[in-house]
Amino acid sequence: MNLFKKIVFVGAVLLALCGKAQTTIDSIHSLKEVEVSVLRSENFAIGNKSEHLDSALLNQYSGSSVADLLTSESQVFIKSYGLGSMATSSFRGAGAEHTTILWNGFNLQSPMNGLIDLSLIPSGFSNDVHLQYGGSGALWGSGAVGGTILLNNSIPFNKGVSAAVTTSYGSFSDRRQQTEVTISRKRLVSSVKLFNHDAKNDFEYANTAQFNHPEQKQNNAELKEYGVLEENYFQINKHQKINTRFWYQNNDRNIPPSMTQQVNAANQKDELYRATSEWQRTGDKLTLLARVAYFDERLRYSDSLIHLDAMSRTKVTIAEGETRFSIFKYDVINIGINNTYSEAIDTADYILAPAQNRFALFASYKIHTKNNNWKAVISGRQEFMKNTTIPFTPSAGIEGKLLKYFTLKVNASEHYHLPTFNDMYWSQGGNPNLKPESGWSEEVSVMHKLRYKAFGWELGATVFNRNIDNWIIWLPGSSGLWSPANVMKVWSRGVEYKLNVSCTVNKWKVSLSGLYNYVLSSVEKTTTGNDASLNKQLIYVPIQNAQGSFTIAYKGTSVSYNHAYTGYRFTSSDNTEFLKPYSVGNLHIAQTFNLKSSYLRLFVQLNNVWKEKYQVIAYRAMPLMSYQVGITLGI
Amino acid sequence: MRKTQLIYASIIALGITISGCKKDDPIATATTTPASGYTNGVFITNEGPYGSGTGTVSFYSRSTGSVSADIFNSKNGFPLGNVVQSMEIFNNKGYIIVNNGSKAEVVDATSFATAGTISNLINPRYFIGIDNTKGYLSQWGAGATGEVKIINLATNTVTGTINTGNGAEQMVKIGNYVYVACSGGYVNDSVVTVIDATTNAVVTNINVGANPASLKTDATGQLWVLCGGQWNSGYTALVKTGSLVRINPSNNTITLSLPFASTTAAPSHLIIDQNLTTLYYIYNGGVYAHAITSSVLSASAVINRGFYSLGFDPVSHSIFASDPVDYMSNGKVLRYQTSGTVVDSFAGGIIPGNFCFH
Repeated sequence: MNLFKKIVFVGAVLLALCGKAQTTIDSIHSLKEVEVSVLRSENFAIGNKSEHLDSALLNQYSGSSVADLLTSESQVFIKSYGLGSMATSSFRGAGAEHTTILWNGFNLQSPMNGLIDLSLIPSGFSNDVHLQYGGSGALWGSGAVGGTILLNNSIPFNKGVSAAVTTSYGSFSDRRQQTEVTISRKRLVSSVKLFNHDAKNDFEYANTAQFNHPEQKQNNAELKEYGVLEENYFQINKHQKINTRFWYQNNDRNIPPSMTQQVNAANQKDELYRATSEWQRTGDKLTLLARVAYFDERLRYSDSLIHLDAMSRTKVTIAEGETRFSIFKYDVINIGINNTYSEAIDTADYILAPAQNRFALFASYKIHTKNNNWKAVISGRQEFMKNTTIPFTPSAGIEGKLLKYFTLKVNASEHYHLPTFNDMYWSQGGNPNLKPESGWSEEVSVMHKLRYKAFGWELGATVFNRNIDNWIIWLPGSSGLWSPANVMKVWSRGVEYKLNVSCTVNKWKVSLSGLYNYVLSSVEKTTTGNDASLNKQLIYVPIQNAQGSFTIAYKGTSVSYNHAYTGYRFTSSDNTEFLKPYSVGNLHIAQTFNLKSSYLRLFVQLNNVWKEKYQVIAYRAMPLMSYQVGITLGI
Repeated sequence: MRKTQLIYASIIALGITISGCKKDDPIATATTTPASGYTNGVFITNEGPYGSGTGTVSFYSRSTGSVSADIFNSKNGFPLGNVVQSMEIFNNKGYIIVNNGSKAEVVDATSFATAGTISNLINPRYFIGIDNTKGYLSQWGAGATGEVKIINLATNTVTGTINTGNGAEQMVKIGNYVYVACSGGYVNDSVVTVIDATTNAVVTNINVGANPASLKTDATGQLWVLCGGQWNSGYTALVKTGSLVRINPSNNTITLSLPFASTTAAPSHLIIDQNLTTLYYIYNGGVYAHAITSSVLSASAVINRGFYSLGFDPVSHSIFASDPVDYMSNGKVLRYQTSGTVVDSFAGGIIPGNFCFH
């Protein structure tokens, strides 16, 4: 196997270097969106730090999950239980439930546990991934505490017919197939994306948690998943557009044992249906937006060893309307309503079948200078829910150009996170009297951007501060029963740096980027009063992490290397136990051949090229080097 | 240009200021080993963090009062795993039961050097030695079952299975018979299973109260069983309260049954003093004593504090009690005189769960 890897590697390098391929496509050239976005995130998230992962990058990760994408390409800490296993996100030292994941503006967080497993979202199902850092309860409501992941889809009109088929094979019997067909006419766009993925994930590793550290094969880690995304966009007339999207996905995965366990028989099956529709009317004076969504998601978790077979199903209906207009020349008002109805059914785990209706009123007022160099916004949101007092959440932000090459961003926002169904209604220990977790976050960013001929430079620094009060923690009570309570208070603050340098000479394009985070997330009020966790770093929040990537492209050839460092993470709340830092390097080589009216793209992905032995979560094994080779044929 | 430089300087200064608060890299807690080995002291089994990480064993030295943390990993170079449930010493071997790890690690009880692994278990709970060649290991098994695995002590392998009531838990050996408390496991049960240790056959199942988990033999040879009671499905109230039951092992009949009053508190962790005349247990936020001659339950606690676990040290004549604090950091172990006066306290590992006295 090792020899084979070497051959593939050498072959790919040679292929990349020969550069004889006839091509005109610059594979790292990103597609610019022509349309003006009507998304709230684009228009009213002002003063927050944000990152766009463009279509070229998404293309590189199209066969991977959003978890893999963010692990390598963002400053978000992805807490992964291993290859193919659950992965959740932590923004700026907040919890996994403190990330809002919006798919075209609709919140995908499970009403049951407030989480979404990013390893189950295919990167190829979105063509724009946007990360918004910091709290923004005013824009997105519950859950937008640490940050927001926006997965957006859009397809331009009048581009003709395009289709692509990708197939890849990788280590540990990893097989992926994707197909995409798009018909883009003057007034109608239809697109279908299909994916299929199965893997054994039976990688070998030295199990340091067993006697004599034997070489072991990961077991019970098989996965099978497939899905479809169907989208339609229709231009009704000059001012009106409507779209529909339908997403079906089926996942069946075994849950591997930890390194200290010898056997595991757990399995998780998910099945989900997501349907959405959006209508928009854009005009010179007035913009109207209406969107609806219906999500139906089933989960079955079984583990014969612990006598568990738990089924659950959630249904979420979201309806949202927005109107946008100006009073004078340099302002925009946005007023909207949102109604979200969630219920959990077909489960024996709750006291009653829980249902929740949340109604929200939100508004933003933005002013900007004539040249749009400076803009400022104030926003507010009030949600209403039976038997729960939800705080009014305001936010204010300003951003603009300073001197010639600097940009300044300032934002202050209130945020909150409502207790989940599990927190409130779990039949064994649920606490219906929980309050929302809430607090404020503030941030200031300064960016230095300049462009000189073919040379681009961007250096940015952000300082943030955030408090989360009434943090919900499950603890055992006197009967030994675990129950949640609003006990903890956490103060997070830190600094984030980023640097991007790019240069284009003739047909060569070179880009370099670096990210660095320093985040302290300390417990200011502990679960039991004055215990040893006071003022200590939250568990599983790295204080430092850094990333660097280097891409060189020439005509249809591109080589990217990405390196990510994650610092110490504590595993006990008194910070006496910890996991060591790790560095993982990945290499991606792609070659595009342009044929008459079609193209062929070959790629090789090498993960963990330095064969780092590491654990993201204690005693969850991670593979050493693995590879993936693939081919895309498109028209 | 000066302004540009100023902004730049402040960006860099900011980074230095904040990064300057950076503490030095964390240092792993060093384990100190007593010169004479782990002889005169108490082993504390620490379950380990919920859901991830590993459990540990700590050692408390009676002579010096010092504590050695995580002695298994530091000696053997690999962790025990989750959840370290219990430890028993037999013929100078320590049998450490690792619940989710589906195994028992066998060590030399003095040096703690590994001496084998008993594998292929499912939800193992406790071990007792039967004779020089045989041991019994109770386990919940997969699902609504309970069983005792017969262990060959020479090879550390499972040689047979004895089916018991659901959720086999603590065991005691009286004469040639082994009494197994069947705590219900994933469901409920109410029996003590009696096994003939020679033939490995079940003699009888004695109906006691709901979900018996711990049991002890007293100075007169009587067997005391503490039943935790049965919770409703939401664990908000007991549909059957707990009870303390006395069995006469000569005819396996119940000679006393004392029900607890509370419908919201389950009694647990029955221990007995060095004279085998006074029992102690955790109940309703306190530690209660029960003289074996008494036929009523005590109305007042000896120690007015709830604990996660209890043990009685027959050498120092003291009660060991554990407090897991926040269940995510090193817990505390407190020592009490039998009068209820606290002697001292020391740090255990994460969720100290059981004690093994050496």
